[in-house]
Formats: sequence, C-alpha cells, structure tokens
Amino acid sequence: MRLLIVEDNAELSRLVAAGLSAAGYESDIVSTVAEAREAVSSVSYAAMILDLGLPDGDGLSVLRELRRQMEPLPVLVLTARGGLQDRVSGLRSGADDYLAKPFAMEELVARLEAILRRPGQLLGRSLRLANLVYDTESRQIFVDDQPRIISARETSVLEILLRRQGRVVPKKNVEDHIFGLEGEVASNAVEVYVSRLRKQLTEHGAKVVIHTIRGVGYLMAEEK
Amino acid sequence: MAVAGAYSRSPTFKSLIWRIVFLHIVAVAVVAIFLPLVLFWLLNSEIDQLHRDAMRAQAEVLGERIVAAPDGLLTFNLPDSLRGLYSEAYGRYLYDIRDADGRLLFSSRRKTGAAVQAPPLSETMSGAGVTRIIDGKIIRIRVAEDLAHRDVIIDDIVSNFFRRVGWITIPILLILLATDIIIFRRAVAPLWKASEEASNIGPARTDIRLPTEQIPREIMPLVTAVNQALDRLEDGFRVQRQFTADAAHQLRTPLTILRTRIETLGDGAARQALHDDIEGMSRIVVQLLEIAELDTLVLDPGETADLRAVCAEVVASIAPFAITQHKDIALKGTDAPVVIHGNAVMLQRAIFNLAENAIKFTAKDTAVDVEVGKDGSVRVRDCGPGIAEAERELIFQRFWRADRQRSDGAGLGLSIVRGVVDDHAATVAVANLPGGGAEFTLQFRLAEKVAV
Repeated sequence: MRLLIVEDNAELSRLVAAGLSAAGYESDIVSTVAEAREAVSSVSYAAMILDLGLPDGDGLSVLRELRRQMEPLPVLVLTARGGLQDRVSGLRSGADDYLAKPFAMEELVARLEAILRRPGQLLGRSLRLANLVYDTESRQIFVDDQPRIISARETSVLEILLRRQGRVVPKKNVEDHIFGLEGEVASNAVEVYVSRLRKQLTEHGAKVVIHTIRGVGYLMAEEK
Repeated sequence: MAVAGAYSRSPTFKSLIWRIVFLHIVAVAVVAIFLPLVLFWLLNSEIDQLHRDAMRAQAEVLGERIVAAPDGLLTFNLPDSLRGLYSEAYGRYLYDIRDADGRLLFSSRRKTGAAVQAPPLSETMSGAGVTRIIDGKIIRIRVAEDLAHRDVIIDDIVSNFFRRVGWITIPILLILLATDIIIFRRAVAPLWKASEEASNIGPARTDIRLPTEQIPREIMPLVTAVNQALDRLEDGFRVQRQFTADAAHQLRTPLTILRTRIETLGDGAARQALHDDIEGMSRIVVQLLEIAELDTLVLDPGETADLRAVCAEVVASIAPFAITQHKDIALKGTDAPVVIHGNAVMLQRAIFNLAENAIKFTAKDTAVDVEVGKDGSVRVRDCGPGIAEAERELIFQRFWRADRQRSDGAGLGLSIVRGVVDDHAATVAVANLPGGGAEFTLQFRLAEKVAV
C-alpha cells in the first residue's frame, strides 16, 4: 500500500516523500489535478496528501469528485491557506484532516497515522504504541510481544485511546464506544474503566500512560 | 476634527439646528417688537385719515348752510338736528368759520367776532377744514372733535389693540418657531442616518457607503464626495491587506520546505536550534496571517457558537503540548452548552492563545484551568508569576513581550485575543489571583435561546 502526494512544489513533495519514507511509508508524487485523478483511478492508495493550490485547478475538486463516487480513500489536506473559510470548506468537502503550512513533518506523520489507524484503514487492524500492540480483529493484547489479558470493557477503552493516541479523546466518545446505545450509564463509569485499564496496563508492564484532561477526556501517550 | 474648523466662526453653536433656532429666536423677537408697532402705526394713520375724512364731510355739510344774502352778508343756519352735537354743553364737536383774513364769522362757541381770541383748544381736539367760495368770498370752515369725549370710540380700538389683539402675534410666532424646528429636524434626519452609517466605517468595514436616498440635494455633493473618497480608501486598504496576506501566504511553502529539510539533517544541537528558530518563525507567519484575517473579518451578527464546546476543543488541542510541558490542563465550569454570539474558529484562536501563554510562561508541574461560565465568560488561570499592574494594558499591544530576551513568539498572541474580543463586542480583563498566578477573563454576549 502506497500513499499519494498531490503537491505542485517539486522540492516540497520530494522532502515530504523522503520524510514519509523515513517513517516507513512509500509514496507516489503527482503535481496536477489531472494527474491526481488518473493516479487515484489506477492505483489503490492507502491515503492521499492533497495540496489545495494546484496549477490546473483547486485540489478540493479532486476531493469532491472522490466523495461523489463514494470513494473512501482517506485524504489529508495540506494548504498554504490557513483561513477560516478554507478550513471549513476543506472539511466540508470530505477531507479527513487538515494541515496548514508551515507544518512539521512529525505532525504530518502523526496526523496521517491517526487517519490510517481508523477502522478498516492501513493501520486500523493492529494498533501499536511503545511496547503495546492491540489486534483489533482478534481483540488480543500484546506487551513486548507477549499476549496479555485485559477485561472486555477496558479493552474497548484501550482501543479508542490507541486509535487516537497522542490526541485527546473526549469522554463522551469513550462512553459511546464502551456502551454504545445502552442508554443510562453511571456518570463515573468511564472514570472507573479508565482507572482499571491504567492499573492493568501498569501490571502488564506496558510503557504507556493515560493522561486525564479534566473536563474534556483522555489522552494516551508513550511513557517518557 | 476637520469639521470643527468649518464652523469655527460661530463657536457658540456647533449644532446646525441650534444655530438656526438661535437666529430664528432673534428674528422672532425683532418681529414680535416691530410688527405690533408697525400695525399700531398703520392703524393709527388709517384712523386719522378716517377721522379727517369724517370731519371734512361735516365741514362740507356746514358749508352748505352758509348762504349769501342779496346785500352781501353771509348767514349761517345750523340745522336743529346738528345743533345739539355742536353745543358746548355736549362738548364733542366744534366748528369755526372764518373769512380769508382769518376773521371769525361763526363759531360753535358763544363769543363771536374777530377780536375775540379763541381759548386754547384742548390737546385731544382733532379736526379738518375745507375752503369754500361763497359769493366770491373765500370762507374757511373747520370742524373738530374732542377725541377724549366719552362718546368717541374710534381711538379706543387703537388703544385696545395691544391688550386685545396684539399679544396674538407672540404665540403665532412661537408656533412658527416650533414648526420650523420640527421641519428642520425632519430635513436633517437623512443626515443623522448617514452619520450613523458612517460611524460603522473602520479598517474592518471599508465596504460601507453613506446612503444617498433622501439626502437633500444641497448636501448630496458632500455625500457623493465622501463616498468616492471611501472608494479610493477601500482600494488602498485592499491592496495593503492583500499584501500582508500574500506576503505571509507566500512564506508558508518556503518555510515548510526549510522546516522539512532541517528535519532531515542528522541529529545534533545545531539541528535542534534551527528547528526551534523555524518553529518561532512559523508561528509569527501564522499569527500575521491570523491578524490580517481578523482585520478583514466581518462577523455575521446572527452567528452563534457554543463556548463550552469551543473551550473543550481548545483544551483538547493544546493538551498534548501541555503534557510535553509538564502542565496539568483542565476544563472547568458548566457542563451545559453556553451559546454566545460569535465565530467558533475565531473564539478558538483567542482562547487557544490564552491557554498557550498560560502553559508557556509558567513553571513545570503546575496547573492551567480553563473555566466556562453560564454567563458567557471564559477564565484562563495559571500558576505563573502573574502580570504586573503596569503591564496589563501593554500586553495586548502588537509585538509586545514581557521579556525581550526570549526569542519564542513575537508578542502577537494577546493582540489577536484583543482583536477577537473587539470583533465580538466582548471584554477581556486581567487580574492576579490571590494565591499567585494570572487570570484572564473573557466576557461574551449570550445569544438568545434559539428554538430548535
């Protein structure tokens, strides 16, 4: 699986490709709307990094076309426009995320991986963080490649936090993820499961930490 | 103001209406004094004329009664019907008839004869005379009336004029004055409207023009000229703004290239230093673009945002940075949505900047709180050194930094906060907490509950 970079600045696309390669992702580079259309129709890419200002048109037109064809290809929009309008119209057109220049390569990779970690995407099956691996299909947990047992609801919490590692997951999302449409849930249920998960992860020697962002949600990161 | 110069000749009244009212009052006062006087004079002379005509008519009647006898002697027969009127007992009318040499021939007074000098007539006597030629002799007949006599009414009309009628001119003039003020106010109403429109014109709103409908034709050239001047200003402004936006915009791609290239360098202190420099520079470019955008932003008055959701998003987006800085960030306050007038993205930028500062300028292992109030307020608290009283206004100025030695940041963050606050007709206040640390309070306008 490859990534597609649609960017008209040759120097930048070369550097981005190099950065992605260092992170373990191979990519193809195109520089026009026409080339992008052709590439998307002929190759099955894992994700697309799309610059908006292209010489033969607006990158958003490619995105809209994809979405009209019900093409679920994840798209990360890059733009030199940071404006309010651009941001809103970018996300409305079906972008999965949005990154304004100048960005750090690290941020680009993190955002890309966050998209790829969604269910059904390239990294969506096996979620990793530090020495912790979670296989979403077999629902198996490994610490240092050793299988470990964590109870079911805590595993659900782990999954959503791992999919969005490094970012805050709102408490409401955690709650919905654990209980689905179960209806009334005790107000402190999420806290209870998160604290149990923390305890179990520590017992299993996972080098990860769950930060509580009071009033907002939780953030899982590598232990430093 | 340039306008003041044009009016400097009459510094007492800056208002056009008051100036006109003042002049009007002067005019009314003058008219109120002179109109009755002129009327009085006209009435008097008219009555005098009337009186003289009456006297002359009476003299003519008397003249017809003078008959020349064949022997040349003149006889005068006062008819009985008139005798009473001219009697001295009644005392109202007098007559005397003289010849060309001034000798008294007949008189209503008893003593007759040229030698008899008539007693001085009273001052209120007024009369007229006619000259007749009877039998070749010139005869002068004079008739007079004592105007002070109780039966004379004609001069009463004049003397009663002021008391009975004259005062009416004053209320009429006052009503006229009031009417004129109302008329004038109505006439300048379009100008008030134009001024109201003009007061909205500023760097952020250069698209407004003065309304030209209902403007009086005399003022139209001024309004048109102002609108044309605004057109030229707007063009200049647009060029300036576009330049700022373009300049910042054009820097984005080269900065990204520079940044990415530095990241591909091998590890080392130099790489880290370059990375930090690029970080700071990128931040400035982004903030300059944000400022350029703020300057052109026109808030839709109907736009609303959930302040609680905005703050949750800010805290979520800044939490990773807080964690790397070993700060504990929390969202506090109400859990319910707080709907205010505003643009969510702009609000997010302002609150983000406050939270970012709170994290950046405080010690490790301290807490930063963002608290949302049901009243539309947001408080961002830190446990830092606080902000000195003298600096509380300065910090909101562009490019102001507490510590010029530091190279991170251009001092634009809080000026963006101030810009967003101003655009939202909100307020920002800074205070130091009793236990140490600073507290920034933003107060927004709650939106009316919208029926879903």
